[in-house]
Amino acid sequence: MDILIQTIGDIINADLGSPLAAFIALLLVSLAILGFMSLTAGGLSFIERRVAGRMQSRIGPNRVGPQGILQFMADGLKCAQKEDLIPDGADRLLFKLAPVLCFIGVFGTFAVLPWGNGFFASELNVGLLYLMSVTSLVVIGMLMAGWSSNNKWSLLGGMRSAAQMVSYEIPVALSLLPVILLCGSLSFKELIGAQGAMPWDWNILNSPFTFISFFIFFLAALAEGNRTPFDIPEGESELVAGYCTEYSGLRFVFFFFAEWANLYVIGAVAAAVFLGGGHLPFGLESDIVSLLVFFAKSFFMVFIIIWLRWTLPRFRVDQMMTLCWKTLIPLSFVMLFGQAITLLIYHELTFLQSIVSLVLFAICVLVGVKFVSRVLVNIKEQKYKMMHTLTGS
Amino acid sequence: MGLGNYFKDIKAGLTSAFEGMSISLASLFVRPVTVQYPDVDVKSDEAMRENYNGPLRGMPDNYRGLLDVDLEICISCKLCEKACPIDCILIEDVKIDKKQIVGRNGKSTMKMKSPIQFDIDNSKCMFCGLCVDPCPTGAIVHTNEFEFNRSDRSQLISRFVKADDRAQLKVRGAEIAIEDAKAKAEKAAKKKAEAEAKAKEEEEASKDQSEAKGTKE
Ligand code: SF4
Ligand code: SF4
Repeated sequence: MDILIQTIGDIINADLGSPLAAFIALLLVSLAILGFMSLTAGGLSFIERRVAGRMQSRIGPNRVGPQGILQFMADGLKCAQKEDLIPDGADRLLFKLAPVLCFIGVFGTFAVLPWGNGFFASELNVGLLYLMSVTSLVVIGMLMAGWSSNNKWSLLGGMRSAAQMVSYEIPVALSLLPVILLCGSLSFKELIGAQGAMPWDWNILNSPFTFISFFIFFLAALAEGNRTPFDIPEGESELVAGYCTEYSGLRFVFFFFAEWANLYVIGAVAAAVFLGGGHLPFGLESDIVSLLVFFAKSFFMVFIIIWLRWTLPRFRVDQMMTLCWKTLIPLSFVMLFGQAITLLIYHELTFLQSIVSLVLFAICVLVGVKFVSRVLVNIKEQKYKMMHTLTGS
Repeated sequence: MGLGNYFKDIKAGLTSAFEGMSISLASLFVRPVTVQYPDVDVKSDEAMRENYNGPLRGMPDNYRGLLDVDLEICISCKLCEKACPIDCILIEDVKIDKKQIVGRNGKSTMKMKSPIQFDIDNSKCMFCGLCVDPCPTGAIVHTNEFEFNRSDRSQLISRFVKADDRAQLKVRGAEIAIEDAKAKAEKAAKKKAEAEAKAKEEEEASKDQSEAKGTKE
């Protein structure tokens, strides 16, 4: 039974058998999710701007509220006050529908997204499949927005986004397949349940193939979510704002809402499918703790996405397609095949799995250490440069 | 081409992304350079040291802010007016009593004229500094001042000559003009007299000559 719905049903003390009570319970759940989604999207917009600021040696928004944390509310309010323009010659119906579709595409994923180990809005046995199908609504929304605006930039942006997102859905799905093979299920509950608490029990470190699959998934999901370095559908410098050029006011907010919420969705899926969900070792696990651990993992992934955005330049359109069709898709087929064989081998030699996982873990630690040392060197260098080139002394 | 290049490209992409990520993460731990401008008084080193912990200090000396003119040493040569590419300097001048001035560069010059109007239209000025370079005395300079939003567009014009001074200069200028005219007239008269005297002398001389000629004949 759907756990969150059940909980709320208990709270309002109603019998979920009656249609009215079920309706009310569903409404409450969706409102709760909507609240969570808006807070996440708003909070992420703030975090993103602050992180971006610091990465560019600026401060970022820091005026509204303590340290600028209420900036997203001010922005939302500002947009709500703006005139709701529909350009002349636009297809009014499609124009109005497009942001809603984009929003629904992302909002729908929250129905199956896990919130820790035991929390789901609804426990669907084909959760992953549902998630991937419902996100394709976003493509339609963007294409619609681009088409209906009657503007060349919008149309170009819409076309690009259609090409990009349709292409990148393939590697996303393919790169999830090795893990599905491994766990034998599409349900988030079982995907999380199949993983352990320690890093080497996570799906990502199961074999080299899942390891690489994780990166393929991550890159492809970035591209599907229109994030830099894959943000060509809205490349500011080329297309003004891409498919949402003509949008203003709240409709515009809907697009960005969807985009930022999508960040969290990518992070949460990565955390649930590859990074061990909300498990904690040493018997520390409880419902609330798993919730926190899960959020921590998801937001860490989100941080990485933000960090990537402010590091890497944008791809060219043809490079993007090359990356997808010539690199990611063949690679993910190889990973699927390799994982299938690995599973057979693991079946015969069970001890091999823990050895491989531990070796992979050791490699990760080594790369991590190397990375940290590079970061330390760079911090020193930047501090030195700042003191000696800016002040001229 | 070939499989070797394919993997080489992947490796290059991964390593450069690795390095790039380490650089951008590092900058999270370095203080931002931003000065919170209206909160921190950017013009004073002291205030910057107190309220801001980045590496910047005060305004740089070569900052090109609002223009300032030292009318004491401006010799009204109008070189700046000519140099300005967008004609935002307007100078009118009168003659003054000659005086010796020392320019900002230490050279002394005779000042013979003074502006009675020296206007710079800051709404047009692009702070290029082209007027500063040719000034022979260093009278026109950029200041550090950069806050000049005003409530009225006409206030954007800096008028360097005060109304009182202008009136005085004008009066004195008119006097000098009269004196000059007088001097000129006197000079002209003197010249004329001289010329006449000379003409007379010459006439006499020629007369003498012709007489001499006549005697010869
Ligand atoms: S700074 Fe440039 S634009 Fe301004 S007055 Fe001087 S020459 Fe003209
Ligand atoms: S160039 Fe200098 S001295 Fe000449 S008119 Fe301009 S300010 Fe005065």
